[in-house]
Amino acid sequence: MKKKILIIGSGIAGLSCAVTAAALGNEVQIVSPFPSERAQSVMAAGGISAVPDTNIGNDSVGCHAEDTLRGGCFIANRREVENLCAAAPGIIRWLERLGMVFNRDPEGEIELRAFGGQTYKRTAFAGACTGKQMVTALTGALRKYECSGEVTRRLGLQFHSGLIAGGRCCGALMYDERSRKTEAIYADAVVMATGGQNQLFGKTTGSVLCDGYSQGKLFEQGVHLKNLEFIQYHPTTIETPMKRMLITEGARGEGGRLFYFNGGRKVYFMEDKYGEKGNLMPRDIVSKCIYDVPEQVYLDLTFLGEGIIQGRLKEVYELCREYIGLDITKEYIPVYPSVHFFMGGFSVNSRHRTNVAGLYAAGECASIYHGANRLGGNSLLAAVYGGQVAARSITESEYVRPDENFEEYIREQNKKISSLFSGSSNYPAAYVRREIAQIMNDNLGITRSGDELEHGIKSIDFYLSAAKKIHFDASVSAYQAYSVKPMLLLSKAVLMSAFFRRETRGAHIREDYPKTSDCFKASSLSRYENGSISVSFVKEGDEQ
Amino acid sequence: MIVKIKRQESQETNSYWQSFEYNGNPDVNVAFVLEYLNYNDDLTDIDGNPARRIVWECGCMQKMCGGCAMLINHTPALACNTFLRDIKGKCLTLEPLSKFPVICDLMTDRSIIEDGLKKARIYLHGNAEIHPSEHGLTYNAAKCLKCGLCLEVCPNYVTGGSFLGACFANSAYLYRTVSGDKAEIEREYRRHFEKSCSKSLSCMSVCPMKIQTLSSMARLNAK
Repeated sequence: MKKKILIIGSGIAGLSCAVTAAALGNEVQIVSPFPSERAQSVMAAGGISAVPDTNIGNDSVGCHAEDTLRGGCFIANRREVENLCAAAPGIIRWLERLGMVFNRDPEGEIELRAFGGQTYKRTAFAGACTGKQMVTALTGALRKYECSGEVTRRLGLQFHSGLIAGGRCCGALMYDERSRKTEAIYADAVVMATGGQNQLFGKTTGSVLCDGYSQGKLFEQGVHLKNLEFIQYHPTTIETPMKRMLITEGARGEGGRLFYFNGGRKVYFMEDKYGEKGNLMPRDIVSKCIYDVPEQVYLDLTFLGEGIIQGRLKEVYELCREYIGLDITKEYIPVYPSVHFFMGGFSVNSRHRTNVAGLYAAGECASIYHGANRLGGNSLLAAVYGGQVAARSITESEYVRPDENFEEYIREQNKKISSLFSGSSNYPAAYVRREIAQIMNDNLGITRSGDELEHGIKSIDFYLSAAKKIHFDASVSAYQAYSVKPMLLLSKAVLMSAFFRRETRGAHIREDYPKTSDCFKASSLSRYENGSISVSFVKEGDEQ
Repeated sequence: MIVKIKRQESQETNSYWQSFEYNGNPDVNVAFVLEYLNYNDDLTDIDGNPARRIVWECGCMQKMCGGCAMLINHTPALACNTFLRDIKGKCLTLEPLSKFPVICDLMTDRSIIEDGLKKARIYLHGNAEIHPSEHGLTYNAAKCLKCGLCLEVCPNYVTGGSFLGACFANSAYLYRTVSGDKAEIEREYRRHFEKSCSKSLSCMSVCPMKIQTLSSMARLNAK
C-alpha cells in the first residue's frame, strides 16, 4: 500500500531513504532548513567500506562484519552488523548506477584504500570528498522523482516536535523562521535523518547545523536513546582559530605516518606499539595514544609524493594550504584528536524503527551498528543502508496511522513560540549553547572520571533550572531559543550514560574504571519518564 | 577593524547600513568575525547603540557547503574562505548577494538554482556510465556547492531570466556525461545557457571549488 512518508533531514541518510521510498511507489515529503548541499554529509571525506563483489582476494563480508564488531568492542548486534556488511557491495553498485564518481583503477574497477581497523583494504572513495560526491549523485536521483511529483522537497523548515500520542507518531510539527509559523505535517511514518549532536560540543569537525535538538526533543517526548556516552574523537584534525578541521583517515590509508620528535629524533609511536598497521588502528586507540604522547604529534605525508597527494588527497592539500598555510608535500601536519562522530542516538531496531510506532531514524542520529567505536568508512555505509532499510520497512509495515487530534497541542506550542517574541530580552540562546559546549568539553574528554561527570551533571542541572526562567532573545531565531532546553536534557542524558558506564570500552575511557567489564558488555539505554532520566544497560539481542 | 553590514529585517522592509567594531584575533576568516559579534552578550554598533544580532547562513565553516556566500568588500565570496589578512584597508563591508531575494541581513534565498535544474530536468537519464577520460571533469563538476557566487558575478545572469548560469552548465555537463540518454539535457543546455553566455568567465574566478566551467562548456558545445 502506498504510504505517506515524511523525512526530516536531507543529508545522505534522508536522500537515500527518499530515493528508495519513491522508487517503491510511496508519497514522500523531505524537509530541511537548507538544501542538501549544506548538509553535514558533504563533509564526509574518506570513503565508504564494502567488500567488492568482484573481489578475488581474501576479504569477505564476514570479515567486514567481524572488523566492525571488534572495532565497536562487541556491543553492537551481530546480526544487524552482518546485514549491513552484506548489503554494502550492492550499495556501491547502486551508487555507481546513480552516477557517483568513484576513483577507479586502470582496469576501470572501483579503487580501494585502507582504513583503520580493517583486516583488508575495502574502502571505496572519491578523492577526499566522498560525501560530497555521494550527495551530488543522490540529489540528482531525487530530482527525477521531484520532477515527476512523487517527491516533494520543502526547505526553510526547522523541526519543532513529533506529533506523538499513545506511543504512536502521526507526523511532525515544523517551524518556519521566515513566517514565524508552525506547520503540522501528518504522515504514515516519520524518518529522522538529522545528523549527530555536534553542537553539544560547540565546534566539532562537522557542521554547526547538527545540534542534537531533534534527539533531545523526541527524548523529552518519550523516544529512547542509546549509547550516548560513545563519542568519537578523530585522531587527526588541524587547529585553526575558527575550528578544528578534519584530516581524513584516508591520508593514513594512503600511507601517512604519525610521529613526534624526541630530541630531534622522530618517534613513530603507533608503529612502535602496534607494528606495521599501527597508524591504522581504530580511531579510539589512535586518539588515546596521541593524547598520551607528551609532545606535539605530526602526520607525515611528505614522502607520498605529488602524484598521490594531488590525485587522491587533493582536498587535504588545499585545506592545509588555505587554513594553516602549510604545504603537505613538504611539511609535517600538526594534528590533534577532536570530537568527530556520535555512536549514540535514537535507539532503533533492525527495521530502523524507534520505540514509537511510525517513527524511524537513520544516519548519524540513529544508534545501531557502530557499538562503542565506529570504523572509518562505515558511517557513509550506515547512512545509505539505514535510509534504505527505513524506506523498505515503512513500505512493508502494516501500521496504520491513528486518527488523532493534535489541535490543542499545536495551539499550545504556537502560544509558547509567540511568547518568545513578547519580551525584550537581549539574552542570547547562543550563550547557553556555548556554556553547554564548555561543560561537555570539560567533562567528556578523551578520558573521563566519575567526579568530572558528576560535576558536569550538576552544571547542566543548573542551566536546566535557569532555562525555565530565562527569556531568550528570539529576534534572530526562535528555533535557537526553543532548542535550548531539549539540548540541555540531551546533554544530561549523555553525561549520565557516561557516569553509569563504570568501565572502559572503545571511545569511553574511564580513569577510575580503566578495565573493560563483561557486566557492561551491553548498550546503554536512556529513557525520559515523569520528568526524570533513567539509564539502563541492554544486552545484545535483548528486546528494547 | 570596522565591519560595515547591510542589514534588512525581511523582504518587506528597507535595508540600512550598520557598522560594528572588531578588535579580535586578526588571523581569522570573515565567518569567525560574524560569529564573534553575535556571541557578545549585548551587541552594540560602533556608536554604542543596541543592535539586533546579525543573520547569516553558516554550516561547515570550511568551504564545503557554500552556505555563507555574500558580498565581501563588493566581491562575491564565501565568508569562511575569506581571511582578514587579505582584506585591503581597515573596513570590511558585508552585503547579501544582490541577485537573490534577501531573507534577512546576509541570508538570501537561493532556491532558484535548484528550481532551474528541476525545470530543465537536469538529472540522470537512463543508466549511468562514465568514460574514464571524463573522470576528472565529472568529479570536478560534482563538487558544485550551489552557492550562487557564479551567478552573482555573471554579467549575463539576470534573476528570473531563462539563462541559468555556470552552476547550471556544470550540472548539465555532469548529468549529460553520466546519462545514457543525452539528448534532452543537451537541448536544455542550448535553451538555458549556450546562446546567452558571453564567456567573460568571471564565474571561474569566483568559484570556491575551482570548477572548470570552460571545459564543461567545451564538452557540451562539441557536436
